[in-house]
Amino acid sequence: MNENKQNRFEQSKGQTAKAGAENEANIAQRINDGIKNINLEKQPERDLWRGIEQALQNSDNATSNNKLNGMKPMLAMVASFMVVAVISWASFESGKSMQGDALVAAMSEQHSSQKQSLLISFKDQPAATNNWQQQIDELDEAAQAIKRALKEEPNNSALLRMLKNVYEQQMALIERVHEPSWARI
Amino acid sequence: MNPELTVVDINKVPIAEGSQQHSLGQKSLQQESEIIEAAKNGNKSAFKQLYDMHIGRVYGLCFRLCADKSLAEDATQEVFIQLWQKLDNFEGNSQFSTWLHSVTSNVTISYIRKQRGWWQKMLNIEQTTAMENEAEASIAETDLEEYIYRLPERARWVFVLHAIEGYRHEEVAKMLDMAVGSSKAHFHRAKVLIQGWIDDE
Repeated sequence: MNENKQNRFEQSKGQTAKAGAENEANIAQRINDGIKNINLEKQPERDLWRGIEQALQNSDNATSNNKLNGMKPMLAMVASFMVVAVISWASFESGKSMQGDALVAAMSEQHSSQKQSLLISFKDQPAATNNWQQQIDELDEAAQAIKRALKEEPNNSALLRMLKNVYEQQMALIERVHEPSWARI
Repeated sequence: MNPELTVVDINKVPIAEGSQQHSLGQKSLQQESEIIEAAKNGNKSAFKQLYDMHIGRVYGLCFRLCADKSLAEDATQEVFIQLWQKLDNFEGNSQFSTWLHSVTSNVTISYIRKQRGWWQKMLNIEQTTAMENEAEASIAETDLEEYIYRLPERARWVFVLHAIEGYRHEEVAKMLDMAVGSSKAHFHRAKVLIQGWIDDE
């Protein structure tokens, strides 16, 4: 009786393992088929050429820029680095990484300095669009809303990430409207 | 290394031996070669022709790496802007499309890293799963694509470059600045995750 039970158990175990292996093989096959069926080409929904063409045009114009203009992003970067270095040093001195309110305050302070440095470095440069200041203001409002949420949850890393992204968007916007990205390649 | 300062050396981009390529006929290849030469000489109309010929494939690759429409659009523009400046580096040792896809992969990875910025690193913000980009399922055309977009970023990059683009793990590791073992581990993780999602269906 016990021997029969044992045999049935072994048989059942074998069948389960076999079914599992078959299932795994099926899934692997499905993945392989899926890869073969992926359409490698995808068309963008908006016209990307216009932006590229504009950048290439600006690239031609930039060759006549003077050396000081070429150094502006570098100066801004150096200024930004100094601010980050100070914050990092302060963080190191305090013996642990900044968290919560202190981190938010440091990020905001750093961003403010970076923004000012960039704006100063580009003050004589014409902007590519007219409404960039409005866009900056909208991003400022977004940052304020995130900071209000961070007051409730100071260590919420998703919110911190959002704040960081908003700040980065602002910096990218300022750089983009004043100096296209190709110039920094 | 600060990702913001990553410079793509197009001369060093690996050529994927098994990569999926356009099957251009001999005549088309010759035409393409003439267009490339014209673009190298500063002919923007020729460059626009190259753009029209390759935009679908380049954007498709950018999209799978970024898993984000807006980011993929920006990265695609960055690819073509860099391409214009570095076109002279193409010496014709491989198919242009093969070279272009390597350039696309490198520029896009570099672009994503740059966008992520260095604040996180400098200010030591804790990495969480929320920081690993996942795309909305609605942008996927097939089930597998949906799963690819759901993968964590690095696992997705490795899966796309190795399984779809056909790069060897050694090449993927070089492109992503990681150990070969890490590339294999990310690929294994991607496969396990996708298998799990399929199993849950």
